[in-house]
Amino acid sequence: MGAEVNERKLLREAQRGSRDALAALYEAHWGNAQRAAYLVVHDAGAAEDIAQEAFLAAVDDLDRFDRRRPFAPWLHRIVVNRAIDWARRENLRCSAGNPEHEPAIAHADEPAAGALMPALAQLPPEQRAVVVLRYLLEYTPGEIARMLALPRGTVNSRLRRGLDRLRELIEVEG
Amino acid sequence: MSDRGDGMSDRGDGMSEDRLRALLREEPIPGATEAKRRGLELIDSAYVERRPAQRPVLPRLAIALTAAALLAAFVLSPAGAAVRDWVGDVFTAGVKNAEPALTDVPGGGDLLVQSPRGPWVVHADGSRRLLGDYDAATWSPHGLYVAVASGRSLSAIEPDGTPHWSITAPGPVSEPRWSPSGFRIAYRAGRSLRVERADGSEGNLIAARSAAVAPAWYPPGPHLLAYVDAKRRLVLAEADSGKRVDMAAAAPGVIALSWSHDGGELLEIAPRGLWIRNVMPGKLSGLSLSDGPRRLGLPANAVVRAAAFAPSHHTVAVLLEHHSTAGPRSEVLLLDPAGGPSRRLFAVSGRLTELAWSPDSRRLMLAWPAADQWLFVPVARGPRLRAIANVSSVFSPGHMNRAAFPHVEGWCC
Repeated sequence: MGAEVNERKLLREAQRGSRDALAALYEAHWGNAQRAAYLVVHDAGAAEDIAQEAFLAAVDDLDRFDRRRPFAPWLHRIVVNRAIDWARRENLRCSAGNPEHEPAIAHADEPAAGALMPALAQLPPEQRAVVVLRYLLEYTPGEIARMLALPRGTVNSRLRRGLDRLRELIEVEG
Repeated sequence: MSDRGDGMSDRGDGMSEDRLRALLREEPIPGATEAKRRGLELIDSAYVERRPAQRPVLPRLAIALTAAALLAAFVLSPAGAAVRDWVGDVFTAGVKNAEPALTDVPGGGDLLVQSPRGPWVVHADGSRRLLGDYDAATWSPHGLYVAVASGRSLSAIEPDGTPHWSITAPGPVSEPRWSPSGFRIAYRAGRSLRVERADGSEGNLIAARSAAVAPAWYPPGPHLLAYVDAKRRLVLAEADSGKRVDMAAAAPGVIALSWSHDGGELLEIAPRGLWIRNVMPGKLSGLSLSDGPRRLGLPANAVVRAAAFAPSHHTVAVLLEHHSTAGPRSEVLLLDPAGGPSRRLFAVSGRLTELAWSPDSRRLMLAWPAADQWLFVPVARGPRLRAIANVSSVFSPGHMNRAAFPHVEGWCC
């Protein structure tokens, strides 16, 4: 509750022209926005672009934003939908056999250290997105359904299939 | 967000949900710290530039004081002597007595203007032609051809619209730039950077991923290209082989590059500053970037909207925007990269958005969208300032309301 009040205060101050308030909002939300995009697109540069675009959209709409609504879901909706679009485009380029566009996972600036990224790369972008929204950003299936404009049953089935596949691919102790 | 009604409880047969949460939170992101810093710079700049939906009503006294301060600054500045006769007219509503129509290009030369309908060629006598439904355009070095982009297509056409060739790129084409030799065209295709022979016969990849910054050809002639890669490094590369000649960290937040006419200096343009780098003859590669760029001195808290080297000398023109409770204020400075004194050429209460040098380096064209005007400001003594009104309607004929303000892509020859 305290965090929500503080966020409303920051939004109000940012709407009034406070760069410090905007910087505080950025500090609070950049990390999750960038991480969510990265886990869906598997490309650090693209994730940076997507997170930047989402924040730029927030700046553009700042004066119209309803402060009674939480900021994070609005931002995450933009991030995840753009990340899905980006990943779909990359997949299309790969499937078209263009040698200049290797699978998105190979575009990461540095090799992933653990098993998570190769395993996530095996999932379609839409499944990656619901996994990230559920287990990184902690949205409920109902909230995810609204964010992605999907039936709740579709979200549940994507979550179930995604998690089952990850369990197969990642051998870790339970 | 406490509802967990997804039926995804742990089964005890592998990875738990908590383990997955931990993996998702802990996965390292390459370059995350630098990306966060870059993002904050960009967002802060955008925030400073934004126009609030509800602006406070200013007391008349504040407006009067601001106007008086501006006028005093003009009259006292070295450039003020040249502009004193018209500065009194230039405040928030554009230049008074602006010419109602574009009947010629002040100072001569041909303009390439991107409008919502596509690019237009405007000849020195004011005649103009819409080239077609293209998203971007660039002049060939002598204005004999125009390279145009639409979706994934890159085409070369004549200024009368006659097509010559067209290729399909692997991604949406943007930022086409014709080489000074006339034999190559650099462009971005999606996130990649490519170079095409100017007859459309063959192309090659320079970088699989590049930053959203237009590439800049080395002016003296060899097919060398400066660009910013996806890791925000400034790269000097041979266009035909793609070989990297030299590389250095790009200036923070760089959004554009501009070469001096002789190729001796490269300007990196960012919202928060200008950095200049000497380009030296190298022992092995032929050229090398100097060790570190020098930051050019600018007024505090100014946002750089545009900057460019003059086509025929080493002067840098920069368009700056200042913000105060009275709203945005724009000024154009002429800078000497060698460290000489800067000169204020022009200033207004309002937002200017573009700056372009005339081919003879004697004028600057400035765009003032809120006033629907182009301003042709003399840099040297002699020519007078000319303002052209109703610019948007010229490039969107038949549009009932005011159309989007056009963008000048180039001023040629």
